[in-house]
This record gives sequence, C-alpha cells and structure tokens, in this order.
Amino acid sequence: MNCRHIATLTVMAALCIGIQLTPRPPNFEFTSLICFLSGFLFGPWFGALLGALTMFINGFLSPWGFAGIIMPFQMLGMALMGFAGGTYRKLLGNDFSSSKSLNFESACLAAFLTLIYDIITNAGYAVLFNLEIVIVLIAGVWFSIIHVASNTILFGVAFHRLVKIIGSLAGESL
Amino acid sequence: MKETKRNFIMVVLVWITSVFLVSLVGAYYYVEFQKEKSANTVYVSMYNNLLKNYTSLLQNYTKLLNDYNSLAQSYETERQNLTRLLQQYESCIMGVNICIDYGNGTILWYNQTIVPLRCNLLQATRMVALVNSTYWPAYQASFVDAINGVWNKCAYYWMWYCWDEESKAWKYGNCGADLYFLSDGETVRWRYEIPNYTG
Repeated sequence: MNCRHIATLTVMAALCIGIQLTPRPPNFEFTSLICFLSGFLFGPWFGALLGALTMFINGFLSPWGFAGIIMPFQMLGMALMGFAGGTYRKLLGNDFSSSKSLNFESACLAAFLTLIYDIITNAGYAVLFNLEIVIVLIAGVWFSIIHVASNTILFGVAFHRLVKIIGSLAGESL
Repeated sequence: MKETKRNFIMVVLVWITSVFLVSLVGAYYYVEFQKEKSANTVYVSMYNNLLKNYTSLLQNYTKLLNDYNSLAQSYETERQNLTRLLQQYESCIMGVNICIDYGNGTILWYNQTIVPLRCNLLQATRMVALVNSTYWPAYQASFVDAINGVWNKCAYYWMWYCWDEESKAWKYGNCGADLYFLSDGETVRWRYEIPNYTG
C-alpha cells in the first residue's frame, strides 16, 4: 500500500465516520455503499480494510454508545462488504456493460451482503447476551428488512453513478 | 464471467435473501402469535376469575343490601317507639342548668340537665356529680359535705345559689339543697367558698 492508497483510505474512513455520526433513521447507512465502492475501485483488501477501520472507529464514537463485544462482528461484516466490492470488480473484468445491468447486480449484491452483515452482527449480539441467534434474528427482522431494503435501493440508484464519478476523478475510464 | 451467468447468480442471491427474510418475518409473526396466544389464555383465566369475583361480590352486595334494608326498617320501628316513649315522658321531665364552681378557677356547667319534675337540688346535683351529704334530723334537711371529692375543709364549704331573673344576680340558697325544689329551666350554682352569708 503506497502513500496515495493510505491517503485515500484515510479520506474514505473519515467520510464514512462522518456519515455514520450524522443523525439518520436507524439502519439507514451509507458506509456499506462507500466500502463496497472503495473495494470495487481500489481492490478487495482496500475495501476490507476500510470497512474494518470504519467500524472500529464507529464502535467508539457511535451515538448509540460503545459497541463493545459486537465491534469485531461489525468490523468483520463491513470488511466483507468491502472485500465483496473488490471481488465483484474481478468477476466483472473488463465487462462493463450497461448501467442498468450494473445497477441491478449491485442492488442484488447489496441485498445479499447486507443480510450477511446483519446475520454476523446479530450473531455478535447473541454471543454478548447469551441468546439463541435465531431468536435475535427474529426479534430484529424489521430492522434487517429496513437495512436490506435501504441498501438495495441505495446501491441500485447510486452505485453506478459513483463508480463513474470517482473513476473519472481518479483518471480511470469505467 | 458472462453477464447472463452473473445475472443468474444475482437472482439466486436475491432469492436466498428474500426467502431468508420472509422466513424471519413468518417466524416473527409465529412467535408473536404464540405470545398473544399464551397472553390470551392468561387473559381468559383472569377474566373468568374476575367474573367469579364479581358474581360473588354482587351476591354479597345483595345480601348486604337486604341486611341494610332490614336494619333500616328495625331502626325506623325503634325510632318510632322511642319517639312515642319520649312524648310520654316529656310531661314528666324538665331541664335545669347546674354550675359547679370549685373556687380555684375551675367552673363546670351542666346545661339543660334532664331531671324529673319536682326534683330537688340535691337530687339534681347527684345526677351530674358525686355528692356526699349528711342528713340532719334536727333541721330535716341534708348538708352537703363534698362534691366530686372536694370536701368542706377549714372555713371552706359548698354553698349553693340560684339565679334570680328579676335582679339578674345570684342569690344564696336559704335552705338545705334537698328542700329546694327546682323548676323547669332554672339555673343553680354550687360554689366552694368561705361563706359570706348575710341573709
């Protein structure tokens, strides 16, 4: 990782934290999109590192209080999100087809990855309070639905546009 | 990877996500249903208990009401009897005001004391206080030795007065208390004092 990557990572992490700390409806967040996008643009490990770093800092600064034992699970979930972005880029290769297709695929991936993220964090909650994970998942189903739906819409609407904008800023032609 | 294959994978992922979430929603409603079902059982049991208690309360209330009515009827009958009795006795009684002055600042009033007609002062005083007296055959009258444990001592004696409505002043009693017959509404006074009898 060179200086440019470190600087980008820092800026992205700051952006994520800034948005995370902004008042917003519960489970409506932009961090997943930014991490996925970063992974997509700068590689899977970059995305994973950004996701983990963001959730690590968020664990201390979150308005909901110190994350505690759930923090590693959040870090893991968000790292997976960033890593998935990079992997998706590898799967795409140079096949940058229509924006419709990219929007659709990113929305589908967002739904699935958000669900995985929720399962991981709920598992952390279950471990923390010594509960059965199924019970925790059932109890938090409406939060999961909001999370999945909001991320699906957000990815579907914004992902392709952000890829184009940031790509052109970085000098890539996507 | 080809676009069609990718799209297929994405559809599968969405399908998995949807199925998972729908299952969770189903489970959520099932859990809620079970909770409500058990709560409903509790509510039904509570309702039955409440109904039982209410019925019992209603029965007790009816019984209480009957008792009360019976009591009220008895009370009314008794009140009528007593009113009749009082009317019979009203012609045989009178009210007098009796004052007992202990001479030390303590003055007790017994207003509207009910006494029999043609009652003398000694009898009337005995109705409101503990009186010790001695009968003197030579005078054919009683002499009061003590009232409520306060005995005649040294130069102090229990003297009685009657209130004179005309002169608006107390008048010394001029005979033994058992020789003075009271009239209805009369005011009399006992006073523990060194007599200053001039009459």
